Amino acid sequence: MAEAALRTAPLDRTRLVQWLQTYGVYAGVAALLVVNTVITPRFLTTENFRTQAVQVAPVIIVALGMALVIGTEGVDLSVGAVMALAASVTALYLGYGLLPSLLVVALFAAGVGLANGALVAFVGVQPIVATLALMVGGRGLALVLLPQLKDLRNPSLASLGSGDVLGVPYLILIAAALALLVAFVVRRTTFGRQLLAIGDSRPAAQLAGLPVRPVLIIVYVVCALLAAVAGVLATARLQASDPTSLGNLMELSAITAVVVGGTPLTGGRVNIGGTVAGAVLIQLLTATLIKHDLPPSWTQIAQAIVIVAAVYAARGRGKR
Amino acid sequence: MQRTTHRRRLLARPVVVSLAAAVALTATSCAKSEDDTSSDTKSSAAADAAQKVASPAPGGKACTVDAYGGAKLDLENATVGFSQSEKEANPFRIAETQSIKDEAKKRGVKLLTANAQSQFSKQISDVQDLLAKGADLLVIAPLNSDGWDPVLQAAAAKKVPIVTIDRKINATACKDYVSFIASDFVEQGRRAADQMIEATGGKGEVAILLGSAGNNVTTERTKGFKDRIAEKAPDLKVVFEQTGDFAREKGQQVTEQLIQSKPGIKGIYAENDEMGLGAVAALKGAGKKAGDVEIVTVDGTRNAVQGIVDGWISGVVESNPRFGPLAFQTLDTFTKGESVAQDIVIEDGAYTSGNAKSGIGKAY
Repeated sequence: MAEAALRTAPLDRTRLVQWLQTYGVYAGVAALLVVNTVITPRFLTTENFRTQAVQVAPVIIVALGMALVIGTEGVDLSVGAVMALAASVTALYLGYGLLPSLLVVALFAAGVGLANGALVAFVGVQPIVATLALMVGGRGLALVLLPQLKDLRNPSLASLGSGDVLGVPYLILIAAALALLVAFVVRRTTFGRQLLAIGDSRPAAQLAGLPVRPVLIIVYVVCALLAAVAGVLATARLQASDPTSLGNLMELSAITAVVVGGTPLTGGRVNIGGTVAGAVLIQLLTATLIKHDLPPSWTQIAQAIVIVAAVYAARGRGKR
Repeated sequence: MQRTTHRRRLLARPVVVSLAAAVALTATSCAKSEDDTSSDTKSSAAADAAQKVASPAPGGKACTVDAYGGAKLDLENATVGFSQSEKEANPFRIAETQSIKDEAKKRGVKLLTANAQSQFSKQISDVQDLLAKGADLLVIAPLNSDGWDPVLQAAAAKKVPIVTIDRKINATACKDYVSFIASDFVEQGRRAADQMIEATGGKGEVAILLGSAGNNVTTERTKGFKDRIAEKAPDLKVVFEQTGDFAREKGQQVTEQLIQSKPGIKGIYAENDEMGLGAVAALKGAGKKAGDVEIVTVDGTRNAVQGIVDGWISGVVESNPRFGPLAFQTLDTFTKGESVAQDIVIEDGAYTSGNAKSGIGKAY
């Protein structure tokens, strides 16, 4: 009997770890929902879910781009800076109307993405260093363009931030649409396959004749564009452009969401559903602690525990 | 492949640099932001908003040139060095630096300025630079209270008097520096509590949006508020304390959670204006009406005072950033050989619905 127990114990553990990798993040979200339903007053209300969804939407959008970059075995630290840049450029060009200013924002973001992609694909700088440069430079540029917070009164921008369709805010709709789009691209398109192949092994992809450099550049441009969308939406919600603090530490929130969602940092695999769930998990965790008025340091500790748990689960995958 | 990448890199560097410069230039040259209505009146009433000393402090310690061990000099022919701690990205720092510059211009004093961009090591080297450039007097807005020994030694060797503003340096007054001029943050918290008690009638549940953790402004504004509430209105309960990091977006997010979980909240005390304005945005987003929740903030920026006029904010306790006149007056008195106080606490104003409209010109 002792022998049998010994034999099954490691088996159970690998199975458990595997299960955690795939479903752990959903289980976490479910657990938090159940706990909150019991202990948090007024948790099961539409307004509450609306608040949480609206707050998490920008994080999800940034995390989608981050998941793609991490899928190529890279990382993009400049997403927070791009959000700040998007905020200041929006304010700067809003005089021409919302749409023209959004086009200029897209241009700027594409520029940052192009610079990131070129540094990684052509110059051969490691992604963490290349995007670190743009993280510092991007926020610097944002502050040069708009040195301090500016209130925005454009009505179309305001409705983008707080309007809704049949009670569902635009922010949530946009985040959901983008998540579906990115999931489709990763799973069903040649581009998605190429992206994952490059992340699995760049030399192999090169030898197989895949367009490695164009794919890498497109991935970084897409990531920057998604960050810009998040920056514009956050600005629209605040009805003020605040390049000094908007997007601060966003790169860490996005990486956390991606990693907790079960996408390995080693590339070659992207889990979009998990990424969305990862962002939701962190949001619910923060909301729970804030609603119960626990000290802010607890939130950080709780996040750290979640990350360590996720990394532990990911470690098992490497061994397999 | 090696060779081609190398060539590319040599080419890329000047191209990237010139491109970045071009982007920054073109972006600002053809930019067109929304019409700004608030900036017209900015300088009009600034003059009468200069700081006043709250307490002449009869019992407080004073300092003279003789005690400090320097030489008398004429301020008009002197060079004053000013070291700012944080980048001028928020209204407080902008108004503070501007006030120093304006006063130097008014008095015809040569002013050297430096900005540490929130890096303490840079501020130390900034001040050493100012000394090397020939500053006879120093005005410092310190980023930290500790770690000033190298600067104080250098200044003492040259017998350069130092006045610190808005934050204190941990050193001996009248030996390492002359005077410290600042607001009393605990008192600001107490006065915010007074406004909150009046707005809510002294009953109900209130929340606090804290500033950044580990910041002395946060701890002192919290202490003053809580002490006064406990002392004057025990029926007013602080049921929620979460940090908004002094930022508008964070203030908005935390307030959204707050009004979700505690819909009966009667008041919100925001430890700076930006978080208070974030709370206003959250209340608007939740479909509340102006006056449903009483908001009291500290700072006195133009946007917050406008919030009182619009009815969303009940009261603003001022934290006056215009240190220029008082700092130069202190230096003038001191260098003439007369005595000045070691701790100069300034009198902060307040805005309520009664004086917001008339006083908005004074806001920064």
